[in-house]
Amino acid sequence: MATVLIVEDEIGIGGLLEDVLLDEGHSVLIASNGRQALDLVAKDRPDLILTDYMMPVMDGATFMKALADQPSFADIPVLVMSSLPEEVVAERCPGYAQFIRKPFSIFEVIDIVQSLTRTSDGESEAIP
Amino acid sequence: MSPQTVPPPALARLPSGIAGLDTITGGGFVLGGLYLIRGAPGAGKTILTNQVCFHNASQGGRAIFVTLLAENHARMLDNLRGLSFFDEKRIPDQVTYLSAYAEGHNGGLSAVVKLVRREIQHRRATVLVIDGLVTPQISAGSEQVYKEFVHDLQEIALATNCTVFLTTNANEEVTPEQTMVDGIVLLTDRTYGWQAASDLQIKKFRSSAFLRGRHSYKITDGGIEVFPRIEALYAHPSAGAEAVFGRVSTGMERLDSMTGGGLPAASTTMVMGPSGIGKTTLGLHFVSRSSQEERGLVFSFYETPARLRAKIAQIEPGLLPLIDSGIVEMLWQTPTSDLLDAYGYRLLEAVHRRQVKRLFIDGLTAFQKGSIDPARIGNFFAALTNELRVLGVTTVYSLELPDMLAAHPRAPVDDASNVAENMILMQYVERQAELHRLISVLKLRDSDFDNSIHEFSVTQSGLRINETNATAVDLLRSNDHDGATNRFERAAATDLPPQHEG
Repeated sequence: MATVLIVEDEIGIGGLLEDVLLDEGHSVLIASNGRQALDLVAKDRPDLILTDYMMPVMDGATFMKALADQPSFADIPVLVMSSLPEEVVAERCPGYAQFIRKPFSIFEVIDIVQSLTRTSDGESEAIP
Repeated sequence: MSPQTVPPPALARLPSGIAGLDTITGGGFVLGGLYLIRGAPGAGKTILTNQVCFHNASQGGRAIFVTLLAENHARMLDNLRGLSFFDEKRIPDQVTYLSAYAEGHNGGLSAVVKLVRREIQHRRATVLVIDGLVTPQISAGSEQVYKEFVHDLQEIALATNCTVFLTTNANEEVTPEQTMVDGIVLLTDRTYGWQAASDLQIKKFRSSAFLRGRHSYKITDGGIEVFPRIEALYAHPSAGAEAVFGRVSTGMERLDSMTGGGLPAASTTMVMGPSGIGKTTLGLHFVSRSSQEERGLVFSFYETPARLRAKIAQIEPGLLPLIDSGIVEMLWQTPTSDLLDAYGYRLLEAVHRRQVKRLFIDGLTAFQKGSIDPARIGNFFAALTNELRVLGVTTVYSLELPDMLAAHPRAPVDDASNVAENMILMQYVERQAELHRLISVLKLRDSDFDNSIHEFSVTQSGLRINETNATAVDLLRSNDHDGATNRFERAAATDLPPQHEG
């Protein structure tokens, strides 16, 4: 099973994702903004990142740019979660693997996490 | 259209299966929403939420009913077994009863949240009920913990597209969950003297317009039955108002002549008079002219079907084959047995179902007795009659006047012109120790009419109106010596503008 980093400022959503992914057998790291997330990535190097887009301190776009700038982390697949349309997010976020619109279905999240953690050992599905 | 004005896509709904409630909410609860069902013990919260569960199951959904007290589910199911929506076959695969008492007791609210989320996920539930919020409220220890519990439930509902209902007792206090949930349904039981009545009110409903105010409901063998307030639902009549022209025979040649060829089509006529004067007979004459193209309905309260049939056999035997062939329907209800809106719905349903064009409502006062709040009556009738007009129904109401020999009759309904565009008055006058009957047209929509008063009699074959007003003139001339009625006095007394003479 994989180590998944959840980057989410809304505690209810973060807590829910944490519970669900723990039940699925994953290890979970939690950050409430991009800054905290970068620290955790440097420390624990997760297999998959689920990140919100609009957050305080450091938003999802800045977090992903910082991630892309570091070659050792650039291959970690990222699932972006946002209530904004994907085209808005795609303009600002480089190389995410998947996008899911909020409010999301937890069943869909589980399916995506399953597919991304399966491929994260091999080839990434990242959008060029 | 600019992007700002594009309306957001309508959110998918979860019908409750309770027709009146779905009408009030505009189609049901929002999928993945969190709703609070508030009400005093016995108001019907458990029945309502179970009804939603079983309806959802009947549509292919799955429901979980969670209790938080050490409650006996077998007892609850025993209580539900008598209700027609209860379907044992759906338990446990589609409707599951679980207790979260142990989780809550041992692990607190976070354990309850976790259990609920897992069960929804595992069963792919579409409806979740948590019965009795009082336990988590007490066990939370602080408002913050309790708010987090409700918030967590909201996130779960949204993320699983499972619509969640929380039941709680009603009180005046605004509790934290009320500000957080997507909607609040308040069930209230009120007593008025010896009478009791229940009403349902949507206090909050995010994402959608809804019918505001109180709506009656009752608990029957079929579960909760809700009756949206007629005046709220038909604030705008249901169909485009198409003008209907022409005249509709009253079934009596002389009265047709007094009204200039019959009643205006798609109008409402109030026939007022004291008890026993012949109002029902007049209404039966009117309905006897029904046909396949102009179907009839008798909506009555006081005379039982058997009595009415015997009366018809005597005075209007031609009506019996129309009843037997279904051209005329007789709908009888006991007065005071039901709610005002229930009568209204039954009436409109029968009109829609058979596309009725001739309607006789025998006993308008029964509607008033069905109303707890007399202040509603005017608006209720205005909405009901508007709807009937739009449907092209020509309606005759009978209205009993309380005084047998009133010189100045007064219509016992507020704002009588809302109820009727046409008015016919039937009166007794006493002369030389003998009662005589008089009939006159007081008002007729946009029409000239014969405003003379005629004497009439009730015979074995129905009403017989005298050809001329000569006998009525004699009767009233002698009565005028005692200061009795004339047209202007009567008009004023019935709250109507005086009609022009000639």
